[in-house]
Amino acid sequence: MAASAALSARDVSFAYLGAARASLRHVDLSVAPGEVVLITGASGCGKSTLALALAGLIPSRVHGELRGQVSFGDRVLSGLPPHEASQLVGLVFQNPNQQLINQTVQSEVAFGPENLALPHREIAARVDWCLEVTGMAGMRQAAVVTLSGGQKQRTAIAATLAMRPAILVLDEPLSDLDPVGAQEVLATLRRLASAGDTGIMVIEHRVDEVAPWADRVVLMDDGRIILDQPPRDAWADETVWARTGVGVPDLVRLGHAVPGAFPAGAPLSVDGAVSVLRGGWFAAALAQAASRAGGGTAAGDAAAGALSPPGGPVRPPGPPVLAWQGVSVQFGQVRAVDDVTLSIGEGEWTALIGANGSGKSTLISLTVGLGRPASGRVEFRGQPIRPGKVFEHAAQVALLLQAADEMLFAETVQAELEFGTRFRVLPPDPVLDVAGAVKFFGFEDLTDASPWELSQGGRQRLALAALLVGAPGVLVLDEPTTGQDAHHMQAFLRLLERVVEHTGLTVITVTHDIRGLASRAARVVVLGAGKVQLDGPVRQVFAHTAELAQWGVLAPPLARLQVGLLGDDCGEVLLTVEELAAAVGPRPGAAAAGVLRPC
Amino acid sequence: MLNSLLNSLFGQTVIAYLLMFAVPLVLPVLFIKLVGLGGLRELVTYEASDTPLHRLDPRLKVLYPVAMGVLSILLSWKLMLVVFALTLLPWVWLRPSRQRIRVLMVMVIGPALAGFWSQGMFYLPNPPIHFLYKFPWTVAWLGSPGITSYGMIFGLEQTARVLVTVSTSMLILVSTDVGDFTWAFERFRAPPHVGFALTAALRFLPEMISRTTLVLRAVELRGYDLSRPRWFQFTRWPDYVRRLARCAVLITVPLLIGTLRGTATMAMVADARGFGVSRRRGSLKVHRLTRVDYWGYAILVTLVVGAFVLNHLHIGARYYG
Repeated sequence: MAASAALSARDVSFAYLGAARASLRHVDLSVAPGEVVLITGASGCGKSTLALALAGLIPSRVHGELRGQVSFGDRVLSGLPPHEASQLVGLVFQNPNQQLINQTVQSEVAFGPENLALPHREIAARVDWCLEVTGMAGMRQAAVVTLSGGQKQRTAIAATLAMRPAILVLDEPLSDLDPVGAQEVLATLRRLASAGDTGIMVIEHRVDEVAPWADRVVLMDDGRIILDQPPRDAWADETVWARTGVGVPDLVRLGHAVPGAFPAGAPLSVDGAVSVLRGGWFAAALAQAASRAGGGTAAGDAAAGALSPPGGPVRPPGPPVLAWQGVSVQFGQVRAVDDVTLSIGEGEWTALIGANGSGKSTLISLTVGLGRPASGRVEFRGQPIRPGKVFEHAAQVALLLQAADEMLFAETVQAELEFGTRFRVLPPDPVLDVAGAVKFFGFEDLTDASPWELSQGGRQRLALAALLVGAPGVLVLDEPTTGQDAHHMQAFLRLLERVVEHTGLTVITVTHDIRGLASRAARVVVLGAGKVQLDGPVRQVFAHTAELAQWGVLAPPLARLQVGLLGDDCGEVLLTVEELAAAVGPRPGAAAAGVLRPC
Repeated sequence: MLNSLLNSLFGQTVIAYLLMFAVPLVLPVLFIKLVGLGGLRELVTYEASDTPLHRLDPRLKVLYPVAMGVLSILLSWKLMLVVFALTLLPWVWLRPSRQRIRVLMVMVIGPALAGFWSQGMFYLPNPPIHFLYKFPWTVAWLGSPGITSYGMIFGLEQTARVLVTVSTSMLILVSTDVGDFTWAFERFRAPPHVGFALTAALRFLPEMISRTTLVLRAVELRGYDLSRPRWFQFTRWPDYVRRLARCAVLITVPLLIGTLRGTATMAMVADARGFGVSRRRGSLKVHRLTRVDYWGYAILVTLVVGAFVLNHLHIGARYYG
């Protein structure tokens, strides 16, 4: 393989077997070793299909009609057997659980080289190197079933790297990772690329997080590549991004909203933005806004009405509806939840955030009787929640699992909505009956359709609708926006806001999505090491960037920017570009900002 | 008064029914309470550790259950109890977790109790028969005239054969990385696909159990009642069984769809990692025979040869009547 060889797709089109429409249309792309390329686009735009094609799995393993040519150097990948193609281009699939075949980390990494019948010394050297670069060397003997989502993801990367591909393609590698874990994986990938031997292609919706590490940004829409540029130039025209429904990094939007803030173009990293703005007019204007507010916060000077969370006005919380009193949960030697005392008021919208393994899911599972606390008590409206009585408590607390697909059991959408009503008696005047849910969630024309005919977002909406028909008092959502593009995420958030407005439900969301979902909540609770580490209004909690980082949470980029400019004593932060732009105003002497688009 | 009640046909019938059905009813209760669906994972999940047992030559580990199987075929039931006791010794080396011990105990005691009890009722020696408890005609028509100590002992001996198999195979499953199985199979000239099939099964069986647990939770979260009645709520048990049966149908679709999706990806991953490219595979691990391995082989050979010799000399040999 020549060192200068690159992976290239020339005029590649592909339609799945039996599909009326092509998933890839005239794609031209090249990736060279040493490069990090971010590929993004709305769900269903053909990103994953492109990954399969570039990895040489089309058409040998995924059947359909392929036109054009995928090649590495002078070798045509689409004609190679998968094991030969994988030594040139390695693909890390989306779900690590489905691609880890072996029982321990090191046997997983060794699996490929062993299959190639390499000498023992070569296999050992590859395994050592792969585990080292992915940061899994300390866990080589660990059983795969005991790994966290992030560790599984790294093991999958290591196992793919063991085939020594020149190009590594990763399909949504961050979907199961908390922001800190995601940064660690991205740093690993950047290191690999910087070493010069490996090219990295990352397919991701989390553009904000990947862009600072990328050399090029590629935007796809409807099977085509519509943009392929370096990150600094990629967002020059926001309308292209708005049309595809893909999110634009906050710092880029800030640059557009406050002309002149970044004369040389918006940096993509917070550190870069702070170093550009520190000591300049922007920092001075922000400090002035903070001092005008009197409380030392820029938030205090934000536009009128902007102090409420972007999702809507904050209602004063009612009496406690859910309460954890001194609750601890033990799994073997691990204390997943450690003496947590927490209370959620009626009608409150609370976001529960924290790193992977911080105890979030364990804590919320107790609200429906899943799991048994080692000590303490969980209550719903003053009544104890009894472990194991899931059926009883599910009528009070609706829990939407992250894997919403696993919650669908009926043959049609209508039957799915009626599912709960067949097995339990509902209150005489539920907030949302079946007919109301059909209308509210927009299923009028789909009542006879199979749930599996709906899109992923549609299935999630259906699962949510079906839970709400059960007339619960509290709605708990476990990572509801994971793996969704910005457009679908915003649609889901708007839907959730409508639900809250319509039903007045108490909502708890467990999320890694700091920028979107957590910012919509009125209150944020940060869990770390099984304990409540921070608890307060969202603007105040996100101002504690150092503490958040300590517990594996990265505050939104705008919050980190404000703390970076105002210092650690910044009591509150502004959450949206619009608020921040209003607080600092236009650059003295600069033209007024253009029309701002909602985040 | 009590004595006459116990000796009456009614009293004897009640006692006989209790004796006949108490143990079979205890077994599922033991399983549900102490093992459950989640506990089944413990049976097939590899426990990564660095014990001498983990370091043993994988070929020896594959041969161990085979050798014990030979013993259980050749030797009499009575000697099987001794062999079973021998199979317990390596567990001390392994030091399994308490949870795993609990599951294993249930899986060992369950069949033992079932064999012991059923043979006690249905295995009859030559007359004259001494009954520990003779069933009245109201129960005897079911096929058992009563419980005999002879039958119970025979049941215990017979059960030992099952226990030897359970003990040896579980020990190997929890202490051997499937990669080592594959390596051993290759050294025995078995096709790589045999090892891969075992690898896939052992790797994904715990996943399947986890997914089933998740989907069962989801069913309950959607308002389906899977709550178990108390043991004395006899009238509610038929409904519970009906609900369980219906639930099995409900969860099939999501389980099937999820599994099929997963297998397609897994097949692509296996292809991409070069599985099946070469008949001989390389190996990360170098298994050099140690003194412990030599001792292990020696013990296995001694046991098997000894069993053949004993069988030939009609000492402790299995009785074929």
